[in-house]
Amino acid sequence: MTTTATALAHAEVSALEASRPTVLDEQAIREIRRAVLSGVCVPGFQVPFGSREVPVARGWGSGGLQATLSLAAEADTVKVIDQGDEEGVNAVNLRRLIQGSTGCATSADTREATIVQSRHRIPEDRLRRDQVLVLQVPQSEPLRGVEKSVLECNRMHAEADYSRIWVSMYEDLVTGGVVNQGAGYPVMVNGRYLMAPSPIPRWDIPRLDGAEHLTILSHGRDKKIYAVPPHTPVEPVTFDDVPYEVEHTAGSFCGLCGSADTFLVQTSAGGFLCSDVEWCARVRAGDVDAAEHRRIAPLHLLPDPARRVRALDESFLSDPASLHAEDRAQTPGALAAPGEEWALAVSGLTKVYPARRGSSAVTAARDVTFDVAPGEALGVIGESGSGKSTVMKCIIGDEAGAEGEVLIGGVESGTRNILGLSPSERRRLRISTLSVVYQDPSAGLDLGISAGGNIADRLTAAGVRSYREIRRTAARLLDRVEVPLARIDDVVGQFSGGMRQRVQIAKALATDPQVLLLDEPTTGLDASVAAGVLDLLRELIAERSIAVVVVSHDFSVIDALTDRAVVMHRGEVIEAGLTDQLFADPHRPYTQRLVAAARG
Amino acid sequence: MTTGPILAVRELSKTFTMHSVGGRRVVSLERVGLDVAPGEHVALAGSSGAGKSSLLRCICRTYLPDSGTVVLDTAAGTGLPPAPVELTALGDRAMARLRGREIGYVSQFLQARPRTGPRAHVREAALRRGMPAVEADERAVAALRGLGIAEELFDIDCAVLSGGERQRINLAAGIVSPPRLLLLDEPVSALDPANRERALALIEELTARDVAVLAVYHSMSIIRRLADRVVVMEHGRVVDDASAESVLSADHSALKEAYA
Repeated sequence: MTTTATALAHAEVSALEASRPTVLDEQAIREIRRAVLSGVCVPGFQVPFGSREVPVARGWGSGGLQATLSLAAEADTVKVIDQGDEEGVNAVNLRRLIQGSTGCATSADTREATIVQSRHRIPEDRLRRDQVLVLQVPQSEPLRGVEKSVLECNRMHAEADYSRIWVSMYEDLVTGGVVNQGAGYPVMVNGRYLMAPSPIPRWDIPRLDGAEHLTILSHGRDKKIYAVPPHTPVEPVTFDDVPYEVEHTAGSFCGLCGSADTFLVQTSAGGFLCSDVEWCARVRAGDVDAAEHRRIAPLHLLPDPARRVRALDESFLSDPASLHAEDRAQTPGALAAPGEEWALAVSGLTKVYPARRGSSAVTAARDVTFDVAPGEALGVIGESGSGKSTVMKCIIGDEAGAEGEVLIGGVESGTRNILGLSPSERRRLRISTLSVVYQDPSAGLDLGISAGGNIADRLTAAGVRSYREIRRTAARLLDRVEVPLARIDDVVGQFSGGMRQRVQIAKALATDPQVLLLDEPTTGLDASVAAGVLDLLRELIAERSIAVVVVSHDFSVIDALTDRAVVMHRGEVIEAGLTDQLFADPHRPYTQRLVAAARG
Repeated sequence: MTTGPILAVRELSKTFTMHSVGGRRVVSLERVGLDVAPGEHVALAGSSGAGKSSLLRCICRTYLPDSGTVVLDTAAGTGLPPAPVELTALGDRAMARLRGREIGYVSQFLQARPRTGPRAHVREAALRRGMPAVEADERAVAALRGLGIAEELFDIDCAVLSGGERQRINLAAGIVSPPRLLLLDEPVSALDPANRERALALIEELTARDVAVLAVYHSMSIIRRLADRVVVMEHGRVVDDASAESVLSADHSALKEAYA
């Protein structure tokens, strides 16, 4: 029951509220709070929200401001810091805005604050469970550096497909010896989502791991809110055998308070000062628990040149023979389906391009059937437009909407029609089970990264997280395909066509696939270069027990690589047989013409 | 122990249809039949175009026969229960496997992979027959030496070697770790007398090792020396099939023409 006194009290409160400027209306506050709750429920996941116009420019903390405004009330005490300092113009302005519109108290003392809004730092004090840290975020998408497409980034988050981050770190390590990313170092949250922790220094990242407090990260321009709830594991992304390092200059200490266990910034005079100004002042006043602070400082993560990748023994690069002993030890082959001979079976594969205005329906492949056993190479030969590439694309999954059945012995014992795989299942299949060598090396390679990085791409996608292992495997494979190891760290875009093709082959074999598809692997190369690649492929096929399909219009390629072949014409398999028999005794008029042409 | 033939050819026919010349049909083999027992050396004789090479190719499926059967019993002569395999209807994959292991075919001209040297070529043949890699290397070298190929040629591209050398390399690949059935198509035609003698001695040895040989020769003296039995062909048919002595003494018009 409402008494007159409480009603009056409410009226007074309302009057007070009404006298304050409104930045976010009730609707906006609710929406942002909902986004924060979603973020707390799915740690590290970027929750979209309707970022409002606020009286600060985008890029000046509009995201953090909205989060704080939606959470703060009169009972709160808010601290705002910018680069560790609460007296910067931006921090002062934000603080006054928050105070003025919510009626909260403010404080410089981290211990008194219930909400800390910060740019670029986490306070040196250990935050408590009753405190909330709001971080202003200038870049919410951790994958932006390796992927420009928003859609593709979303896809990668959805599938936890973060291998490209590891590839970019690999590239950093081979070019500079250290990971370049300083502020905003990518972290894995709760073992699931990759997160950009706003540009806090690497020094501060361990403070997020299993923290007592709630951290809310908000990016106004990108309209994203995400959170790290209390007690959530936050791990910086790094190779298992490459130590994560925090920023530190050996022997440095704060010129004012003398601390050597805080995050320090260099002055123009060359000395150092505590980044956290308020902490520094309290150290000088003797108002801190120095022992406790030292205990939580990331001193175990200080840079140690002896443990960096440049200190690793990479003598195998000049003596690759040592690597091939390992090669012989591990040569897993393709699996045949239980009770069957084949490792890859294609049956009744049909692909029709429907009619459109101005063109009639085209049957690019009709009822194509063949199978391949482990250790066997099958040729698919036909002239341009015969449908051989369509068949290849349907198996790979580059072409959707094919009818029929494609089975792989190693995929659910050959009972799963891979034509029906979802895009994510198909991507996984392409990583570990089914490899393709395209005619154009740029289709299978990233020409902007090193040869080793391209192999790292496949290995990290398959879950390899050891830098050493990636190095050794890349060196072994590149040496096997006769790419000089002196060029392992060179960008593939600088390689010749034949060399690129060799790198592509090495990448295709990196995860020991069960099925290898070669699509015109030597077309487009000079005769002498093509001959070298052909010889290499022949040796690789002979030494591995994988199932290989070779698609080519060139009889000499099919002859060099395969024992059996099928001839395609107008989308159909018109003749099949032993390769030498098709060449010596072709039956169909078309095959006879093809052979006559090949005899040149 | 009754020893059946390792190879039994029955009613084998092959006609080529040349679509580029209006579908002209060229009869190559007509209802050919013959047997080869383990350790037996059978010579195919007849003039050029009689179908001798075509027969060998139909047996190892480089040509696909139209009708008839080719039965290979690799258990013949081993004392194991018979294991006949009909080759004309055998699946391609199984045939490819058999070819490597059980049937060897030495064509008239070397068909080495491009850019392969003699050692690698012969070694590959040995590997296909299931020999361990280390042993294959040794045997390949031994086989090449046995046929008088100079060491310095071992790793040179076969394509640049002389006709006689290539033929010997081809033969070396055929007889290294010999399969149970060996098909030879004029294996010594391009060899000088000394090398021919070496090659013939090696082929002769195969018989003692129980290898069944079906071979085409264009020399009466070789047939006389090596063959247990001679099958005479004419126009794609078998016109005589008897012991070497009786065939050679008989007055064959076909043979007279071919081996005058």
